[in-house]
Amino acid sequence: MKPRHSLVGGLAAIAATFVVFVIPFIFIILMAFKDKQQSSLRDFSWPNGFHLWDNIVQVVQTRNWMLITAFINSSLITVASVTLLIVFAAMVGFVLARRKTRWNGLIEFLILAGLMIPPAVVPTIWLLQGLQLFGTLHGMILIEVAYNLPFSIILYRAFIATIPRELDEAAIIDGARPMDVFFRVILPMLWPVTVTNIVVQSVGIFNDFTNPLYYLPGNANATVQLTLFNFQSQFSTAYNLLFTNILLITIPPLIVFMFFNRQIVAGMTAGAVKG
Amino acid sequence: MAGLELKNIYKAYGNVEVIKGVDLSINHGEFVVFVGPSGCGKSTLLRMIAGLEEISAGELYIGDKLCNHVEPRDRSVARVFQSYALYPHMTVYDNVGFGLKLAKTPKDIRDQKIREAARILKMEHLLDRKPGQLSGGQRQRVAIGRAIVRQPEVFLFDEPLSNLDAALRVDTRMEIAKLHADLGATMIYVTHDQVEAMTLADKIVVLDAGVVQQVGAPIELYQRPANLFVAGFIGSPKMNFVQVTVEAVEHGAIVVNSKDVANLRIPARTEGVNVNDLLTLGVRPHDLSPSSSGAVVGRVGLVERLGNETIVNVELASGTPWLAVLDGDQALRVGESLALSADPAKAVLFDSDGISLLPPPIA
Repeated sequence: MKPRHSLVGGLAAIAATFVVFVIPFIFIILMAFKDKQQSSLRDFSWPNGFHLWDNIVQVVQTRNWMLITAFINSSLITVASVTLLIVFAAMVGFVLARRKTRWNGLIEFLILAGLMIPPAVVPTIWLLQGLQLFGTLHGMILIEVAYNLPFSIILYRAFIATIPRELDEAAIIDGARPMDVFFRVILPMLWPVTVTNIVVQSVGIFNDFTNPLYYLPGNANATVQLTLFNFQSQFSTAYNLLFTNILLITIPPLIVFMFFNRQIVAGMTAGAVKG
Repeated sequence: MAGLELKNIYKAYGNVEVIKGVDLSINHGEFVVFVGPSGCGKSTLLRMIAGLEEISAGELYIGDKLCNHVEPRDRSVARVFQSYALYPHMTVYDNVGFGLKLAKTPKDIRDQKIREAARILKMEHLLDRKPGQLSGGQRQRVAIGRAIVRQPEVFLFDEPLSNLDAALRVDTRMEIAKLHADLGATMIYVTHDQVEAMTLADKIVVLDAGVVQQVGAPIELYQRPANLFVAGFIGSPKMNFVQVTVEAVEHGAIVVNSKDVANLRIPARTEGVNVNDLLTLGVRPHDLSPSSSGAVVGRVGLVERLGNETIVNVELASGTPWLAVLDGDQALRVGESLALSADPAKAVLFDSDGISLLPPPIA
């Protein structure tokens, strides 16, 4: 029989989690079902009617189907950024883990600096403008890659360090050139951490609000998070539409988490036990 | 065809010299074992032959080709690792055929070679499995298969049996010996286990601190060690040593004695040896037998009765511990005095530099 205090503690933890995570989500769903008048009350009342479909149609059609464009933009940015991130970070992690040169200290300092020092927005905009990348999707992709590279590199370097060097040597003796060693031997073995990286980075980049705000002005360039911002000024009192929008843009990351939950956990615990 | 020549090979990491001038000649088809204690440089030597380490100075010839700066894949060598180093995400079939795939061998030839290697090693039923689903012995066979399939000129074995349990070690050792007999290829085998060295080698190279101590056939190293190190390394249990004084120098023999050893006349080289010189006497535990008039007297310490033989720990008068392996089951009591006779023909004398004073072999 479990001791009483651990039961009470467990219940308290569940209650706290419920308040912090579940209640706001219930609020969002409730608001999405309401019409404009009832939603302006901003309380927990049960919706008067089923207005969800109308809300969705209205949100999607606003400003020339901006939400569709935004979804496409967000998806493009996410897929391209994550792909580049995986390939580049794994390559850098591979070289850092395997080759011991006197430049390693400097490189590691730069990576840590990238992690710790907050980016300066105005100089970055100035740089992008100079490179004629400001306000473009590929400029945004490069920004996302640059901002998320340090974390990915550190992740990969730690995992590659657990791969024994003898595997590299066996491949070299078998006739593999450095690129073969990387793409045919090392990268396939990093699948668990790659999946974790993909999921974590995808959600992070998809949900990114501030970076598209700074570097991607304009309706044609809108990402899903920015649609919120744009809606908010237009529907300053239409909370039902705002929350319907929130619901719609929360769905993709939610699906990712539901499907890849096992891989996320596996990726986090992979390498913990020598197998 | 493909022998190996190592000429004055040096290897240094910064200021630390790891290999100090190794000269070696290996004939085609020979099974050569590099043996020595940990840190003696045998794995480094193997890696230099494979091409995974730079050679600081000296020349390496594989076949007739100078290979100092040749890439590993062009040296026609294959290596079997201590930890197998199988690619965990590929099946056994792909593991074995990886090198061929990289060399862009046509699929049907690749398939034929993989299946041939699998047949030789009796692992056809394992081809679809992944390394994680295999036992240690099976993984080692796959590692060997991966080496065979490339038909290299030189096989390099890097302590391949160290990770196997004792029974499996004996079986796999015999399989490797059979493989050598079947393929007739040049094989270089690195180990710290001198039993593997003695049973597998055509030629043993004993290394210590980056210097070759002796090169020769196993029995030659056992019966005629060149120096103190080789004498103490080869042979299990270890050779017994004791310091002795030269009593007399005769033609072709030296008479020695000490507190522990009564006058013993040992055939030896006599140049540079004078009366009252201090030498080291080495007698193998198996060459001692109980005898009431034996030259070596000591007190029995530990007695290990193995049934077919008895291993006795004997403490000599000076306190030096000696080991004697006696035939059959000897009922000895701890603390009793034991007299042992040593066969002078098999005993070895070493001078103050540790060089053996064995007489030249009778041609």
